[in-house]
Amino acid sequence: MTDPVLSVRDLRVTFQTNDGPVQAVRGIGFDLGRGETLAIVGESGSGKSQAMMAVMGLLAANGKATGQAVYRDAQAGGRPVDLLALSDRQLNKVRGARITMIFQEPMTSLDPLYRIGDQLAEPLRYHRGLSKAAARPRILDLLRLVGIPEPERRIDSYPHELSGGQRQRVMIAMALANDPDILIADEPTTALDVTIQAQILTLLADLQKRLGMAIVFITHDLGIVRRFADRVAVMRAGEMVETGPAERLFTAPEHPYTRMLLDAEPEGRKEPPPAGAPELLTGRDVRVTFRIGGGLLKRGRDFHAVDGISMRLVQGQTIGVVGESGSGKSTLGRALLRLLPSTGRVAWLGRELPQGAQEMRPLRRELQLVFQDPFGSLSPRMTVGRILGEGLLIHEPDLSPADRARRAEAALVEVGLDPAMRNRYPHEFSGGQRQRIAIARTMILRPKLIVLDEPTSALDRSVQKQIVMLLRDLQGKHGLSYIFISHDLAVVRALSDYILVMRDGRVVEEGPTEMVFDAPREAYTRDLMAAALSRDRFGRLALG
Amino acid sequence: MTDATLPAVSRSLWQDAWLRLRKNRAAVASAVVLAVLALVGIFGPMLSPHSHATIYQQYVRVAPSFEAYPKAEDILPGFEREMKRARLTGAEPVLEGSRLSVALTAGEKPIDPRVTRYFERSELFSAPQLDLAEDGMTGTLTVSVNRQYFILGTDNLGRDMLTRIMIGIRISLAIGLLASVMALIIGVAWGATAGYLGGRIDNVMMRIVDILYSLPFIFFVILLLVFFGRSLVIIFIAIGATEWLDMARIVRGQTLSLKRREFVQAAEALGATRRGILTRHIVPNLLGPVVVFVTLLVPKAILLESLLSFLGLGVQDPMTSLGLLISEGAQNMRGAAWQLIGPALTLTAILFALNFLGDGLRDSLDPKER
Repeated sequence: MTDPVLSVRDLRVTFQTNDGPVQAVRGIGFDLGRGETLAIVGESGSGKSQAMMAVMGLLAANGKATGQAVYRDAQAGGRPVDLLALSDRQLNKVRGARITMIFQEPMTSLDPLYRIGDQLAEPLRYHRGLSKAAARPRILDLLRLVGIPEPERRIDSYPHELSGGQRQRVMIAMALANDPDILIADEPTTALDVTIQAQILTLLADLQKRLGMAIVFITHDLGIVRRFADRVAVMRAGEMVETGPAERLFTAPEHPYTRMLLDAEPEGRKEPPPAGAPELLTGRDVRVTFRIGGGLLKRGRDFHAVDGISMRLVQGQTIGVVGESGSGKSTLGRALLRLLPSTGRVAWLGRELPQGAQEMRPLRRELQLVFQDPFGSLSPRMTVGRILGEGLLIHEPDLSPADRARRAEAALVEVGLDPAMRNRYPHEFSGGQRQRIAIARTMILRPKLIVLDEPTSALDRSVQKQIVMLLRDLQGKHGLSYIFISHDLAVVRALSDYILVMRDGRVVEEGPTEMVFDAPREAYTRDLMAAALSRDRFGRLALG
Repeated sequence: MTDATLPAVSRSLWQDAWLRLRKNRAAVASAVVLAVLALVGIFGPMLSPHSHATIYQQYVRVAPSFEAYPKAEDILPGFEREMKRARLTGAEPVLEGSRLSVALTAGEKPIDPRVTRYFERSELFSAPQLDLAEDGMTGTLTVSVNRQYFILGTDNLGRDMLTRIMIGIRISLAIGLLASVMALIIGVAWGATAGYLGGRIDNVMMRIVDILYSLPFIFFVILLLVFFGRSLVIIFIAIGATEWLDMARIVRGQTLSLKRREFVQAAEALGATRRGILTRHIVPNLLGPVVVFVTLLVPKAILLESLLSFLGLGVQDPMTSLGLLISEGAQNMRGAAWQLIGPALTLTAILFALNFLGDGLRDSLDPKER
């Protein structure tokens, strides 16, 4: 076997913070063979990204890396170079040319002011000294390589004219411009829809076969690397707990942490509510329309975010709303709660919900909403106790502060947190804890219906599982009804007993969970499921 | 499992900011300088032996000096002058410490004991004591020499510059703070309301701001002064009333981005009233940028007051401010540079300190830095 293209030995990354030094990576080592795909898997905070950032010399100013990262450049005759010992200038010859990187956020990693072609020309002009004109045919080749339709036209587009998936393709093209030895992909699919995720992964696998570079694939989702990686390294708290060939790691994991990650799929099913359960919420022909564009004289175009949806929710039921981003599922959830102006009828316990904010206010107590991003949905300047007490302040203004504090403590216990935490600020909590706080904020009011808007998609798999279990517990205990909005079919399946599949503001398929999952009628539904990749996730649904 | 990881110490955003601010030497030094200057402004005039309004006619435009006035070579000529006025003659005066005594020689008439009044009136001497002989023709006159210190010299009217600078610090800092607090309250209330309510109300409120913006500041101040007469309060109001416009715009911009944040939507979904959302969610989260803007607003207000005083629209004699002192100093800088240098250095120190502190606060409150 030839020498590995990259060998990392005893890599440590330390950050100087106000609380003293924090070790993000604690002495990891691995070899990356030529043309091999290595997946580094770990939950957020495990140091997986920081390890690769250190190799690239891209650490934040307060970070310091020690150890060795020996790179053997095939073009330079395989002479070993320790990347960590290089100066910034020497490193610049390697990064962007021999070792390249793609990032999670395709929306922000392209400069909005430059055309695609100009941005792609940058690495070619810098590393190869090509002129703008000479770079153009190479750029067209690259765009064709990554499967951008009509490259002759797209080369002169601005980033905002491309979709998220296309932007990520452009980023890949940019990374490939100089035929790198190593491509580091840092969660390249996390910000994308499931169907697009599958396309990008297929593209990466295909490119590797054709171009033969090594890929380091950093991800938190063990499920998606199974078909894709040759070897998998599992990281936890800055250490590598297990490495091995992908197949062995999936079939016979040795470390308990790996096993935990593998069973982190939310499991169990929800029983449908009893047949005679009273009707809670009905929507008939709900529409939400936004006016797009338009000026002084020009009439804007109407965009139907939700286009005539009817639904019926009974007590104790969970309706899962699934669809790609932009399909209108979040808008539907907000329209049902009258947080957005809409037309059509929405009735709560048989009575039409008022449109005015003032009349709606007393009803808000029973109709609650939990948001996707637990980092954004808690006010950073309020303690947890005050955040929890706010609903009480509004709906039970007669409570004394001591009573509010007691209720807040009870709510924290209910979602599995220590009541002593109520004097802390949200930024001191992890993502999963914050989502628990957000759930406690709604539970403290004893609502009847909670709209859950992607409550698990910003969380790690293992935390997702806990949140799903918590939500099911609370539902059983208090007879809650949920409208669960998500693009993650595994979570939807574990939590809901009825499914609405949405596309472009319309419901394309609906039915009881088992029926939709086991016998999807629409091609779109089948696509959504196939794209979720891991074959273990969906009982009988086999993947090719 | 993953839910068990909490930082060891609990810290609010403000504590975090404070920790970062403490590492910024320039900001900490500025805060100390400001605190010292504020104390000097408050207590200095009380402790000073001179009042800011006392005029020493003998000491008009005297230069800064650590030696006491009158200087040794000025004492005897001054004493001779008073003797002449009192029509007294005497032997060579003897200076012992601060007591000056002279043996009076006989004239044509007996010495009137009331001659001590000449010495009482003098600013150089005090506590005259006349010991007359039996016949009233000769005696000994003893006076104390008044020693006055003018460390920073005196102005054209013979007033102590140090005391006047301390009063100037008091007035300038007070104007800076009060005008900024006024701008803060109006600006935050106006901007947050306009930004949060949005739509037509926002439009109307911000057009009012635009209209006020287009009024020239000096013109506006003159108008106010003409209507309400010249007083310190009007100056506070004039400066506060123009400075809140910037504050309102900044706050509105911040509010627009805050109101799309999920925690505001979460409060709406909880059923919070608009007022509750503004006071509980929007305003507390505005504080970071607003605090920074205020530290930069204070020097601006001080400069505006200086400008007004320089133009003669500000505080009135004998009250003074740094701006007024600089304006007077500038007129006398050829002969009496100390009249300009003292207040100018003080104002520069205040402005430097405020700007450094503002920069430090901005860095330490910026969440991107964490």
